[in-house]
Amino acid sequence: MESDRLQKIYIDFASVVFREEFLDNQYTQLQQLQDESEPKFVLQVGTLFLEDSEKLLNGLRSILDQQDVDFEKLDACVRKLMGSSASIGAKRVKNVCMAFHNSCKNGSKEGCLKCLQQVAQEYLLVKRKLETLFKLEKQILAAGGSVPVLSQ
Amino acid sequence: MEEVEKREEGSNDGKLEGGVEVRVLVVDDSPVDRRMVEVLLKKSGAMFQVTSVDSGKRAMEVLGLSEDKTKSPVVDDQKVDIILTDYCMPEMTGYDLLKAVKEQSCQKPIPVIVMSSENEPQRINRCRAIGAEDFIIKPLQTNDVLRLRSYARTGLPPPPPPPPSSSSNAGTKRKMTIELMAESGGGGSERRRPRLTGLAVA
Repeated sequence: MESDRLQKIYIDFASVVFREEFLDNQYTQLQQLQDESEPKFVLQVGTLFLEDSEKLLNGLRSILDQQDVDFEKLDACVRKLMGSSASIGAKRVKNVCMAFHNSCKNGSKEGCLKCLQQVAQEYLLVKRKLETLFKLEKQILAAGGSVPVLSQ
Repeated sequence: MEEVEKREEGSNDGKLEGGVEVRVLVVDDSPVDRRMVEVLLKKSGAMFQVTSVDSGKRAMEVLGLSEDKTKSPVVDDQKVDIILTDYCMPEMTGYDLLKAVKEQSCQKPIPVIVMSSENEPQRINRCRAIGAEDFIIKPLQTNDVLRLRSYARTGLPPPPPPPPSSSSNAGTKRKMTIELMAESGGGGSERRRPRLTGLAVA
């Protein structure tokens, strides 16, 4: 059956995503909240996360572009990104944000620039993973199947 | 960006057993977290009417509070039974909001629960010192929202004090035994899938 084939592809892909810690069990929690009354919950929250993260990353770039960096403002922005990545289970993004937060506290512009580069990279990676998961979920549902829920 | 969302969650008539509906004001500048809290409240089995706002300033408007302390506080506290606010927000923080609510001279100020993604004992103590009913570490889980109902101004007794944890000043996340979420009263088709350590197919 087509849905079985798609489910297998989904499980194989999601297993790697979890194993490589792009996402963690918090993402599973979101999947478990999704049901007939909230059929698109994961897609909604995922989309909100991607949109919000783009804004926050742009904000971080703009603060770091200034000659005199406002580290407090920078840190507030980093903590927001850390919070939303924790809420969706984007573990690697969250981890880089923690390092970024420490660089802000230390007032290290060089450290912050490096962290910005890393967080932007991790964000792009998890964005691609999420988009692939959403695409596969849509295909599984269209084929009449149900989306597997993995946990670590 | 100003945003107020109002959602009726729970069964069709929005009533709790005994006819009491708990009105929650959620205050969080993160759209991700606002959406998560809304759905958690919906799934908890208790009947919540949720209003979400994205700033402390907007929360003050909903509550009918004025930041101008020279004006006598005219509090329309009929609208909200409980406030669930993020701590870190620009301009007006959750702490500022908590303080404004608790400074009201009405007999029973609205219960305020503060949320934060950071487990900082100083922050937690600071909030408790000015009357926060609880402090929850994000991301919120089901058992966190299950406890909210007992804080609401519904005349129900408050929950027993938490048992001492290994880090005594830690936040209150997961201090209770995790319980499976009760089945929602409405619909019958809403059922939480049990978490398995391996693969679970929904």
